[in-house]
Amino acid sequence: MLSIKNLQAQVEGKDILQGLDLDVGEGEVHAIMGPNGSGKSTLAHVLAGRPGYSVTGGSVDFLGSDLLELEPEERAAAGVFLAMQYPVELPGVNNTHFLKEALNAQRRARGESELDSVAFLKLVREKLAMVEMKPELLKRPVNSGFSGGEKKRNEILQMAVFEPRLAVLDETDSGLDIDALRTVSDGVNKLRDPKRSVILVTHYQRLLHYIQPDYVHVLANGRIVRSGDKSLALELEEKGYGWLGLDEEAA
Amino acid sequence: MNIDAAAGSISGVLQQPTAQAMLNASDDWLLPKRKLAAGELLEMPLPERKQEAWRYTSTAFFEEQSFQLAPREPFRALEISDIEDLLVAEDTYRMVFVNGHFAPQLSDRLPQMQGLGIETLSNGAGTVDASVREQLASIAPHRHVFEAMNTALASDGVLLHLAAGTQLDKPLELLHVTVGAEEPTLLHPRHLIVAEAGAKAQVIERYCPLGESRYFTNALIEVSLAEGAQLQHQRLQEESSEAQHISDLHVRQQAKSDYRLVQASLGGAWSRSDVRLELLGEQARAEVDGLLIASDRQLNDMHLEVRHVAPGCSSRESVKGILDGKGRIVFDGHIHVAREAQKTDAVLSNDNLMLSRSAEVDTKPQLEIFADDVKCSHGTTVGELDQNMLFYLRSRGIGPIQAQRMLCQGFAQQPIDAIQDEALRERVSRQLAARLGGN
Repeated sequence: MLSIKNLQAQVEGKDILQGLDLDVGEGEVHAIMGPNGSGKSTLAHVLAGRPGYSVTGGSVDFLGSDLLELEPEERAAAGVFLAMQYPVELPGVNNTHFLKEALNAQRRARGESELDSVAFLKLVREKLAMVEMKPELLKRPVNSGFSGGEKKRNEILQMAVFEPRLAVLDETDSGLDIDALRTVSDGVNKLRDPKRSVILVTHYQRLLHYIQPDYVHVLANGRIVRSGDKSLALELEEKGYGWLGLDEEAA
Repeated sequence: MNIDAAAGSISGVLQQPTAQAMLNASDDWLLPKRKLAAGELLEMPLPERKQEAWRYTSTAFFEEQSFQLAPREPFRALEISDIEDLLVAEDTYRMVFVNGHFAPQLSDRLPQMQGLGIETLSNGAGTVDASVREQLASIAPHRHVFEAMNTALASDGVLLHLAAGTQLDKPLELLHVTVGAEEPTLLHPRHLIVAEAGAKAQVIERYCPLGESRYFTNALIEVSLAEGAQLQHQRLQEESSEAQHISDLHVRQQAKSDYRLVQASLGGAWSRSDVRLELLGEQARAEVDGLLIASDRQLNDMHLEVRHVAPGCSSRESVKGILDGKGRIVFDGHIHVAREAQKTDAVLSNDNLMLSRSAEVDTKPQLEIFADDVKCSHGTTVGELDQNMLFYLRSRGIGPIQAQRMLCQGFAQQPIDAIQDEALRERVSRQLAARLGGN
């Protein structure tokens, strides 16, 4: 489904990704771990097409098309979803309105019919229950004044509504207390699907207690230096990144 | 009379036959006021850029074009179906003015209720007390030539009088429709609203063109609120993109009165509003929400003056501007707190969003405080669209043009939400998006 070959990318003229290879099959959950500065978040943003992240080499094939050729909104319509580490507050933009506009923009781009208000509200109510989010957060401006946990839950709600083929979760666990981590993870687990792949970007093993990955990769200096199954994460937790000959940076 | 030489000048306008007829209509109760103003008018020059209040706003257009006063006869050619697109507000008492003149065939029947006096300027035989009529031109000092010109040559308008305790059950909608003529038209809407103690009303004031054309709307509105009176005032300016528009609004507030203004200025090539609020009685309250749009080559100017004269009054003024292309916004907000006005609580803010680097904002919030026990603040911001917000929307599938529109609507949410009428609120939101659409 996703095939990344020799990917190289720069941010502000600095080489961050330096020949990254990764294959993600349908329905698989891959965890990308690594010390700070290893390029984990850069990978997530490059996949979503964030301006300022320039790809200088390599290729990304997503469902048979060249992902790097697509604008961010085209990637979303093609089924890529990035749950952000720091979801942006949009003052004055109503959350329900935003969700509906976004879903319908994606549907239009795919040549599907738009959902009317009734069908949309029915869908949202269903998904809201799935991610255990307070309905009043839908009436507020997107992420404005949300707590850290509410913001992350709002990201997972979007994931539930958009039903992407590939979800990239960038440090979804950061800033969450245990209860919030559990509900967010439950939401992600409910969204696991044989057709949906997930890339979990995380610094810590703790998220992987809740969302069990099929594969774990360690990223260092812009490359994947080690891959394995979930036992690799446990080994990392025990021994630290130093075990792989990597600098352990303070969190 | 030398019409040729006078074209595009004040004296030229006064010499037009329509003006002469107005200034000689002996059966018009307004005549003494008109004559007085006409006299003042001849003494007043056009505003110049060296005057602080006009530093960023040139009135050269007035001399460059030969404006013709709208004829005194009502414009009868329009039918209700012609203005259907403009009839969005539901459940209002609608009074339609076409090219400045009341058009009864397009309007609702005037409301009739105990304690309510209402009539048009052109039809003095209404139900409004002579003492109320006398207040016309007494609330607004003629600060510049256009105000004096309005009094001298007022086309038409409404006199609304609410006796003590009267509550108008539906908003009064003053819908100004302008139909272009071959020569650019000059029109002078003029309204007076007097609310006695404890009276309560909503007024909607709208300016809409019927097709694009050149004209100059010079409107003046006076409001007097007695003790405890409440007025909700919604003003929506959607003039033609070739038009000039100036509107002056003077509000006098007595103790415990409450005035809420929301003003959206969307249209016009050149648009200016001068709003002046006087808080004359204790614990009067005023709130102003403004929205200024300046798309490419549009000038949108708002001058706001709030005079805290009595103690214990509060006012909040918040004006948002959005600029695109070579648009220009001028904002001058002036809060004056007199020495007696202790315990004044006043907040003034102006925030601007620039969608283009070629746009220009000149903003000047000022506090002038002579009392020593007050809570006053002002603030101004000028910013661009946040790239993180744009990317967030795009990463969710929303294209850049729609994303920009959503962020602009979000930026303008406060003044838009302040519009009480739902259909008008949606109309402004849509127009905002359309006017700033895809560049």
